[in-house]
Amino acid sequence: MGRELFVGVAECTAGGAEAVLATLGLGSCVAVILFDPDRRIGGMAHVLLPSRSLSRATDNPGRFPQTALPLLVDRMLALGADRRGLTARLVGGASMFANLAPSGSMQMGDRNVIAVREVLNQLAIPIVGEEVGGNVGRSVWFTVGTGQVEVKTAGRREQIL
Amino acid sequence: MDDVRELHALQRDALREVANIGAGHAATALSQLTNRRIMISVPEVNITRLEEVPEILGKADDIVAAVLMHMMGDLTGRTLVLFPEASARTLCDILLRRPLGTTTEFAAMEQSGLKEVGNILSSAYMNALSDFMGMMLVPSVPSLAIDLAGAVLTSVYMNFGYDRDYVFCVETQFLFEDPGLQLKGHFLLLPDLASLRAIFDAIRLP
Repeated sequence: MGRELFVGVAECTAGGAEAVLATLGLGSCVAVILFDPDRRIGGMAHVLLPSRSLSRATDNPGRFPQTALPLLVDRMLALGADRRGLTARLVGGASMFANLAPSGSMQMGDRNVIAVREVLNQLAIPIVGEEVGGNVGRSVWFTVGTGQVEVKTAGRREQIL
Repeated sequence: MDDVRELHALQRDALREVANIGAGHAATALSQLTNRRIMISVPEVNITRLEEVPEILGKADDIVAAVLMHMMGDLTGRTLVLFPEASARTLCDILLRRPLGTTTEFAAMEQSGLKEVGNILSSAYMNALSDFMGMMLVPSVPSLAIDLAGAVLTSVYMNFGYDRDYVFCVETQFLFEDPGLQLKGHFLLLPDLASLRAIFDAIRLP
């Protein structure tokens, strides 16, 4: 096991082959995992909201995919990653307590996933794996050295992306 | 008021007192339900950046049983009743009249029991508030999640809160007096910002 780096809510962290990037207790938030498989450089962003318009505290770029993902890419490039070799995996975006949501409205988890996909599309980073939606919270560990992404949920078996 | 950080000391005290009345009634209900003595903590007013929410009540990947309800009527907001996993099991043992340590999984019967406990506690809390303040408060149906604490808390604020920058809750802890019993819980009152003003008006606080 390498060096475990916890990525908190609205943070984004990049690391090399020795790093294990982890985030715990994702609900409607989405963890975006970027990976340069040739150079073994990885990054994880824990985004909170689909759009800056939903928040007054826009001082933290890590909250929104529109600002968090370019920042994460920059941090990975600084470690020597190749911009064209990046792939993305998404985890999270669940809808909990869905029966209390106003009917007809789209849940924050789904909106987060859609917003993240849009930004990745603009950045031309292909999505190669997803473990999103549903109604369960998730924790995720990304071992940069092997590229393996492990997703754990309460009461279910772990999944490998 | 459009920022929870503007609450002054007297207003925080008032909210603690309101929460104390609500939690006192909820604790009485829980005590009758489980036939055990229960203590409540001094309520705390938490104002936290959303980024720090997962750690309010412990580790983000601890499993909790959480019952969320909407509060409607003269005040709007939500109530959240949380039990750590071990406590939720103990509670199921007591409710289903099993020997302690018997509950291993949260199947339909256990989930139904926990949801009902949340319902009863929240309704007792809201009743006390509505009596005290002379308001009409209507609870919604309860919704249960047994999941990672971080996921539960952020989802509650993201999906249902209107302020997504600073989050606000008035928290009271329940503890069973019996030292041999591993059982504690949290009660969170999450009023919408607009309703804070209504609470202060009702208790004639400027």
